[in-house]
Amino acid sequence: MRVGVIAVGVALFAACTGSERQVPPAKLAGGRVVDLIPLSLSGETWQDAEPFLALYAANPKLMAASAFTPNPGGSASATAPIFVSDDGGDSWTLRNTLPSESMTADITHAVGGNPPMLYAGILKVPDFPLNELKANDFLSPATMTLQAFRADIDQPFVRTSAVDNADRVYVGLNDFDAPDGRTATVDVSLDGGTTYTSRRIETRNTAGQNGPSIRPAVAQDHTVYVAYFGWRSNAGADVTSDVVVVRDDSGATGATPFRDLVDPSDHLPGRLVATHVTIPWSNAPTLGQERIGSTLAIAVDGQHSENVYLAWADRVGTGDIYTVHVRRSTDRGATWSGDLRTLTNATDASLAVSANSSVGLLYQQVTGPAGTSRWVTRLEQSRDGFATHQDVVLATVPATTPPFQFLPYIGDYNCLLTRGNQFLGIFSANNAPDSANFPQGVVYQRRVDFPTHRLLDGSGAPVAVSIDPFFFSVPVLP
Amino acid sequence: MHIRSAMLFAVALSFPGAAVAQMSRAALVKQSDIIFIGTVTQVGAVAVPEVPPSDRTVVVRVDQVLEKPAPVALTAGDSVTVETARAGSLKAGIQATFYTTGWIFGRGVAVREVGHEPGQSPVVTADAREAVARARALVNDAELKAHIQRAAMVVAGRVEQVRPAELAAAPTRPKRITEHDPDWQEAIIQVEDGIKGAQAGERVVVRFPGSPDVAWVGAPKFAVGEEGTFLLHKDSTTGSPRTMIAGRSVPTYTALHKVDVLSKQDATRVRALIKKP
Repeated sequence: MRVGVIAVGVALFAACTGSERQVPPAKLAGGRVVDLIPLSLSGETWQDAEPFLALYAANPKLMAASAFTPNPGGSASATAPIFVSDDGGDSWTLRNTLPSESMTADITHAVGGNPPMLYAGILKVPDFPLNELKANDFLSPATMTLQAFRADIDQPFVRTSAVDNADRVYVGLNDFDAPDGRTATVDVSLDGGTTYTSRRIETRNTAGQNGPSIRPAVAQDHTVYVAYFGWRSNAGADVTSDVVVVRDDSGATGATPFRDLVDPSDHLPGRLVATHVTIPWSNAPTLGQERIGSTLAIAVDGQHSENVYLAWADRVGTGDIYTVHVRRSTDRGATWSGDLRTLTNATDASLAVSANSSVGLLYQQVTGPAGTSRWVTRLEQSRDGFATHQDVVLATVPATTPPFQFLPYIGDYNCLLTRGNQFLGIFSANNAPDSANFPQGVVYQRRVDFPTHRLLDGSGAPVAVSIDPFFFSVPVLP
Repeated sequence: MHIRSAMLFAVALSFPGAAVAQMSRAALVKQSDIIFIGTVTQVGAVAVPEVPPSDRTVVVRVDQVLEKPAPVALTAGDSVTVETARAGSLKAGIQATFYTTGWIFGRGVAVREVGHEPGQSPVVTADAREAVARARALVNDAELKAHIQRAAMVVAGRVEQVRPAELAAAPTRPKRITEHDPDWQEAIIQVEDGIKGAQAGERVVVRFPGSPDVAWVGAPKFAVGEEGTFLLHKDSTTGSPRTMIAGRSVPTYTALHKVDVLSKQDATRVRALIKKP
């Protein structure tokens, strides 16, 4: 029954969107897309999904990135890799510095202040405990230092801010050991990760737990917003959820943080931005071989913390599989717009707000008929709350190949950040070296033959198409 | 301890004159994922800009690749940066077999030395390939034997049924909805050859994660009709180590490591390893 509904949904959607592909996507001046897999790993065929990116404010040349990329040494390896760039993203190297056997089961990371520490939250292999990690020098080959750990955690999501000489670290996570099924949690460190305190942010009854995505965002005035799914009930594969935003006005330094935004309906902390939405929880290849159920993103205007954007995905129920919604608040989360963007059959929404208050929206959408459907990765920018926007297609690749090796296929999330006059981000996609797939152009470090659209290994032999992480930068709208 | 002694003895017999300092070749192979014969061209230098030069880095021209992971692009003629185990241990012009682990992968490969064996001629080069292959076989056998010893049961058989596992609820630990949920399944295996701890004709239940999630990507999955040699471990993972077959309560097992599921033909090798002192 479910398969039938999905098939009809895809067919309807294809019928509605087929004509959109008649016009080739435009190339934007100044945009670039770079495949992260280095030349010396040209033979790799892994599904490098769920990419993430960290930027160093102190040195724009330095970046760190991750994906579900294994240690090239194999499954017996004691460490897992991250990618690093010291030239602003033009080239990347892979270094095995994460204390996890071969790969992680989840990873996000962010950079502190000076000196530029790298903080990471991972689910460690084996057994998948949370590890909260730190590296004093991300270029060092030394294994990252463990600062805190515990079991029964999902989707650690790391954000940081620098205050005087101490970094503040906020790790949104779903803590299954939290009392009363109120599992939405932020691990807060006010001392550069030396100590963490788990702050529970759900104040209402749940369906036994919250959704896995708990997403913090920090402004320069130390306002911290956190978005989460307040799961209220579930029937079969569908979860009925509220979409909730909490706020703390002083960097979560107080004794009872994240209580500064109250909903007028019940006077409890946590503004209900949307209520009773349907979250289709599917840990199966449901949308272009991807699973769905946890897409959620929030971004705050760093210099104007009253402006905050929120994106989530649910099932609207009109033939869609999964629909992304984007909303905005201009009064610190007290009131929210209606949908500024409604994107059918899309996932992996990420948001960032640039220094000139342009908002960037990265998402990945399945388009076209079922047999020839494509994953289209887009960056939209707007300076007027999406009354108008610029649309940049970063990639348009087959959604049916390669076949998935595991889930997530491309990621439960990707990452969009901003620095200066650039949006910088990372996504995962089919890596076939076909210029038509990358309208902004693409640079491969690994060995490829563009005329024949083939990947090559070190000896020149063909390599199968797989999923790779792609870094990109796009100029911010002036 | 016994296995290690056997390996050392075998290596010693094979290479009575080899100058393998401190460690046996098998031990070197065990710790290495990139092994090559190469000639040191520069000392205190690097071949790629991503690696800072130091008194422990040398540049080695690859003469022949003996082992490497498939994704790694490394061929004869490439220059590799090697971080040596100790400064001053290698001089320019020395040819050796390098036992290494991958360190930094960029435009080129940088590796960390586990150890090296000096060698200076094509004859030695040919011998080295065979010697490394023999050592790798020893390592693989030793690792498999250790797995066999840890297994509660080793059987050759056929999967006759796969069904969802019905785990007894833990009252203090409610079921959680997470994308990393293993989605435990049960494979019922008809034992055709009871190699350890079982007899032909028995039916044993093996729990395995049915989830496609990345957390379980390395764990073997079972399918009806699948034949193989299975190394089975007492179920200490699911929290509910018994199940029912035909109205009887029976213990459950797991096979979560890739080495736990071998081909049916591997039964002969497994038996031989069990008998091997």
